[in-house]
Amino acid sequence: MYLTRFRFNTARTGARRLLTSPQILHAAVMQSFANVPALPDGNSPRVLWRLDRNANNQVLLYIVSPDRPDLTHIVEQAGWPTTGSWDSFAYAPFLDKLTAGDIWTFRLTANPVHSIRTRDGEPTKRTAHITVRHQLGWLLKQQERAGFTICEQPKELPRPTDMDEYQVVVHDRRSLDFTKKDPARSSKINNVQILTVTYDGRLRIDDPDKVRAVLTTGLGKAKAYGCGLMTLAPAQ
Amino acid sequence: MSTLALRFAGPLQSWGVASRFAWRTTTSTPTKSAVVGLLAAALGWERDADLSDLAALRFGVRADQPGVRVRDFQTAHHGDTGVSMPLSYRFYLADAVFLAAVEGDDQLIEALHAAIKRPHFLPYLGRRSCPPSQPVNIGVRTLGLNEVLRQEPWLASEWYQRRERRTRVALDMQIEVAPGTRGSDLQRDQPVTFNPRHRRYDLRAYHNETIEITNPHGKQVRENPPRQAVTAHPAHDPTIGLEAV
Repeated sequence: MYLTRFRFNTARTGARRLLTSPQILHAAVMQSFANVPALPDGNSPRVLWRLDRNANNQVLLYIVSPDRPDLTHIVEQAGWPTTGSWDSFAYAPFLDKLTAGDIWTFRLTANPVHSIRTRDGEPTKRTAHITVRHQLGWLLKQQERAGFTICEQPKELPRPTDMDEYQVVVHDRRSLDFTKKDPARSSKINNVQILTVTYDGRLRIDDPDKVRAVLTTGLGKAKAYGCGLMTLAPAQ
Repeated sequence: MSTLALRFAGPLQSWGVASRFAWRTTTSTPTKSAVVGLLAAALGWERDADLSDLAALRFGVRADQPGVRVRDFQTAHHGDTGVSMPLSYRFYLADAVFLAAVEGDDQLIEALHAAIKRPHFLPYLGRRSCPPSQPVNIGVRTLGLNEVLRQEPWLASEWYQRRERRTRVALDMQIEVAPGTRGSDLQRDQPVTFNPRHRRYDLRAYHNETIEITNPHGKQVRENPPRQAVTAHPAHDPTIGLEAV
């Protein structure tokens, strides 16, 4: 497994083209593998990616993938072709080190949805969680299956609202609206609307195997569009 | 020495100074020639009357509500022949309110006050199509021109006063001064004669001043608390401790 980081040169037209359409960025990410990645089956590791918009001039692309990617084409379009490149890191040794009880800070960009029906008997429909409260609730619901627990706020710290019970912030909530070609009918163009949020916080690992699976196969929906990739960093 | 205070408020006003031909512009405050003409009309004087009494009054004006400049594109046809007259652009101040005052000796001011209460010819705000929407007459004050302009309460509409919000507001004034005074501006609106066959105006010197006045509808504006620094995203670098390949 590899973790790869690339920084966009946001002043370039090519960067804007990639950053404005998750569909185009997804295609660019998938084209960085010489061997076409296998279709995801939900159990084996897959290609995951995420955009971290830390500042206007610091937009980072993270990719977690079974094979080592070659981002030359993205660097040529949207990077610094002669002075900037991308960094790949070996991910497997890090994954092997994970043990139960460890505390890590995490970042996850996800597409929090649930399936509801508005009238009895109607087929259910996938619907985004709109409010921060529900978006946080979605993450808390995922954590048991994913093998980790979000750390609770220490008792001595103030909790002005019940949202402050956990050491996690929900930010960068954005709704994406872009078009994609219908694979069945190439003349038809479909509209895609998804809602993404970014979670930052601290977690404790309960089941390292489940966490490894989450880190390599993703969490939640819309994984092709930059959602579902969780990364861990050492907790201070 | 006493002063007559006048209110000029109306949906439209237009105060021309130097307009000729097709562009009929307006200054941003009433002109002395217009106010003298209005007073002479209230007295019932004819166009060719001797103006020396009224022209000697000292004139000042305060912009209580500056209004908005609007442009009218006007077409006209001759009433009898139907021939089209020159196209003209006419400028107006919309929704403005001014306090104007003239200072002179007591007898003349009293006479003017009586006339403005029962005007012989009706007053209008610079152009005959601009009638006042509130009484022009405010009253006679036994004070000098400068004191009257400083002391009269704010005449702006209530909605305007509420919108201003602060408890003290700054108003612009133009006060007539002796010709040649240092730092004065000149405007050609000192009337010599309104005789339609040879209307004539002299230069008039005035000072621009600003005064602070109480806003009866002002509220004590709360000082905004200093802006909190926006909490940046927690820094997150997942590559710490990983081995580059």
